[in-house]
Amino acid sequence: MTDEKTKYVPHHVMVVDTNRCVGCWTCAVGCKEINNEPLGFWWNRILTTAPNQSTTAAPPASENIDVPRGVFPDLELAYLPVACQHCNDAPCVKVCPVQATYRRDDGAVLIDYERCIGCRYCMAACPYGVRIFNWGDAEYAPGGIVGYGKNYYDDGRLVFTPERPKGVVEKCTFCVERIDVGEEPFCVEVCPIGARVFGDLNDADSEVSQLINEGGAVQLHPELGTDPNVYYVPVRKRVVRES
Amino acid sequence: MAINTVSLPDAAEGKVAKSVGVQIWYALLALIGVIGFAAWIYELDHGLAATGMRDVVSWGMYIFTFAFFIGLSAGGLIMASSAEVFGIKALKPLARLGVLSAASCVAVAALMIIPDLGQPTRILNLVRHPNWSSPLLWDVLIITVYFIFSVVDLSVLQVHAVEPTRLRRTMRLLAYIGLPTAVLLHSVTAWIFGLQISRTWWNTSLMAPLFVVSAILSGTALVTLLALAAERWGHFNLPNDTREWLRKFVAMALLIDLFFVACDYITIFWGNVPADRSALNLVLPGGPYSWLFWGEWLVGGLVPLAFLMVPRLRRVSGSLGIATFLVLIGVYAFRIELVIVGFVNPLTQFPPGNALGTYNATASSFQLVGKYTPSLVEYAITLGLCALFAAIFTTGYRRLHLADGKMIRDPLGSASLTRDEGPPTSDDNSVRDTTLATKP
Repeated sequence: MTDEKTKYVPHHVMVVDTNRCVGCWTCAVGCKEINNEPLGFWWNRILTTAPNQSTTAAPPASENIDVPRGVFPDLELAYLPVACQHCNDAPCVKVCPVQATYRRDDGAVLIDYERCIGCRYCMAACPYGVRIFNWGDAEYAPGGIVGYGKNYYDDGRLVFTPERPKGVVEKCTFCVERIDVGEEPFCVEVCPIGARVFGDLNDADSEVSQLINEGGAVQLHPELGTDPNVYYVPVRKRVVRES
Repeated sequence: MAINTVSLPDAAEGKVAKSVGVQIWYALLALIGVIGFAAWIYELDHGLAATGMRDVVSWGMYIFTFAFFIGLSAGGLIMASSAEVFGIKALKPLARLGVLSAASCVAVAALMIIPDLGQPTRILNLVRHPNWSSPLLWDVLIITVYFIFSVVDLSVLQVHAVEPTRLRRTMRLLAYIGLPTAVLLHSVTAWIFGLQISRTWWNTSLMAPLFVVSAILSGTALVTLLALAAERWGHFNLPNDTREWLRKFVAMALLIDLFFVACDYITIFWGNVPADRSALNLVLPGGPYSWLFWGEWLVGGLVPLAFLMVPRLRRVSGSLGIATFLVLIGVYAFRIELVIVGFVNPLTQFPPGNALGTYNATASSFQLVGKYTPSLVEYAITLGLCALFAAIFTTGYRRLHLADGKMIRDPLGSASLTRDEGPPTSDDNSVRDTTLATKP
């Protein structure tokens, strides 16, 4: 295992095709299950937007999901699934005073749950709002699912545990425990429409490379220079209603 | 001489300590402190769920009060050091008061961070695994250095006050070090916010200068208030030219502070970038946080400015006290505004918003626009730490005998020299001290 690591480090990226996403929240619920996220926690969430809407636009008119933009019959609707963007130049990694949040060589940004002091500076620094703090004792739905259910250590650091301690920050781990054994992140696996693709950007022939290099996949808030490892294929054509 | 016959510092102190007023004061502070401590124990047990903070507004009262106290501290030392560096004689009587205030404030500011931590027992990770790119780590470092520095500076000022010929050069040297250190302290605190690209409300290069000028403003206002209180209850002598200087100093700092804030507003207003404007609209009249705007511009801006500058109002008795008190309210409003408004409108803002991190069966687990109301636990802990500040300051003021310039206990062990060389003025003061002290 360690030999393999020294030999070759992949560049893990995820591409979400917004042409395909229907906003069903299966990835978000799957994420909750595999990671045993308590009630009120969503590492992954599906934002309601308009096609290719700028992420720096004014606040939306509606606070509710699934509300299209515009006036009937000229309505627009698109979905933007957002979890940790696993930035190569991650603001959270830069601000963490104790190096509890760190970037692994393959691009995954992880949190050491045994080192985090709970200052929440990373939450202030994250432009994507994907970090969640363990404010109190975790609450679970009765008979809740445990999911992966084991501790997972990356190079001796506890980066996943089924029940995170009170007072630490947690977030999407890119499912390191799965990708390290050759599986895909759980959201990729459960997406019923195949809107999510995971792979190695170093490999020019991989599907993710194709989508990024030729498919025009873009990053969220590219203007911030955080260089995320999650990409989005923009909505290619608008469906124009024929009247 | 009277000073020789009685071991005055101790005797005076003993009598003062018996004064009923002081005992009630300490009892009150102890009560508030104990309530705050109990609230902290409760918070440790329940986690930060006991606070009003949640995932969208993930910093609250602890952080803006922390920033406020850092400002008070930096300002106290900047004022005290300027007396020496710029040779402002009128401010020299306030040097020790200013440094004592700076030391007490920075100690309380550092403690203010502890209840904000989710895992306070891991705080030594700051030393074991420092991340030098984090402004927070630099802030911890500068706070530590600054606290040690202010204690050393206070000791040297004590010796100097005992015997003006000793340590004169050290004192001047410390003033020259203290001024930039204090400016740096508040700049680094400003950079905790100002460097963050995720919060347009914070991300301005004006942040550090704005923090420094608001520190000078609030720190000087606090020292003025403390000096006025000391004059009222602690036999402190506040000369008229010192008052005049303070008045001008505070007025000038207030004008510059408001100018900087206005520059920020105008930049956002004219640029009209949606994310920036939606944050500013929260603050401007008509927005949900406009009470902070009025707190900053009217209560802590125009009104104190009138009391400081309009001749008729300036002559009102207590005008300086009223003005500086209002200034403190205004600067506190600015701190609240900075922290909270920075969080309320996240950069990525589409429905349903961010997960809250706690569960409520009757409400959504998401929040699109952040909401924050401090809980009683936060109020109790914050007030408890304010009481601690008052206790540290009162004790320091009494133990170091700040009331008069000469008769003091020397921390470096030259007490005998003092008593021999005490000039007549200090005799008068000491006599007044002991006689007054017997009054309740």
